[in-house]
Amino acid sequence: MSGNNGEEKVNHASNSKGISLPMTRVKLIMKSSPDVSSINQEALLLTTKATELFVQHLALSSFNNGSGKDQTLLYSDLANTVEEKETFQFLTDILPKKILVRDYLKLLEENPIEEADN
Amino acid sequence: MEGDSSTTDASQLGMPGEYMAGSHYVLQSQDDDCDESLHDHEEGNGSKENFREQDIYLPIANVARIMKNAVPQTGKIAKDAKECVQECVSEFISFITSEASERCHQEKRKTINGEDILFAMSTLGFDMYVEPLKLYLQKFREAMKGEKGIGGISVTEGLGEELTDDSFANQLPAGIITADGQQQNVMVYTTSYQQIPGVQQIQFS
Repeated sequence: MSGNNGEEKVNHASNSKGISLPMTRVKLIMKSSPDVSSINQEALLLTTKATELFVQHLALSSFNNGSGKDQTLLYSDLANTVEEKETFQFLTDILPKKILVRDYLKLLEENPIEEADN
Repeated sequence: MEGDSSTTDASQLGMPGEYMAGSHYVLQSQDDDCDESLHDHEEGNGSKENFREQDIYLPIANVARIMKNAVPQTGKIAKDAKECVQECVSEFISFITSEASERCHQEKRKTINGEDILFAMSTLGFDMYVEPLKLYLQKFREAMKGEKGIGGISVTEGLGEELTDDSFANQLPAGIITADGQQQNVMVYTTSYQQIPGVQQIQFS
């Protein structure tokens, strides 16, 4: 896939700084915050590095927190960790607990609500 | 439906699964039909639409790799877990940035600097990252200084790419490797971490 080639180039550039995330993309996300005018190089570097630490932290915490049976990190492990750990609670809005369609339909049958227009 | 890139078109935004508006639940897809490429946001040269801050993601391959290296070797990661962390990451970045930006404004400055970021992390409950980050920054600066001494060899593209298995094994003095037979001050970063619950230390080799 041609998309991957672009990623590879970016990865190489980042690797030599000791980071495995594309800083340009990180900057894009930072800039999309309201009222952000400019970000200096050091701030970008620290944010990118911190993001790496965050991924590791979240992944490992969730993994350890999980059922541990098949050694697989599941979405539900993440959702549970976010609910339980204070540090990750800023993520609760974007990590709703999942429900299968059929269970949701069952819920609807039991508690009829007005369907929102999709 | 209007053709604006709002939340209803989940696939455009690279969001996994199907979200039910107004409920507390997310529908779980029965089958794994999400195309991997959808979750890698356009590289920026494409659509110039008005993206909300949480619509921009880091490439899932990078995120997945970091996750993989963080969990025990025998561990696996579900696909929707990777996608989820991808979104969490954008949220994290925005979270930190907003806080840093606020402090910046309070001090009547326009440019967010490193201190603002570190301060934001402390304030938001990520103070466990601060020391490793300071250490990282220090070593990075040292590497940069060294670069000037050798006549401005660029420490960007091209260097540090060839990481053999050996370089992952030992901890060499930080910041010095040999590449192409020449000694250069380059920061080489291994992705193999020591497994410390909750907090990752930074290894340099």
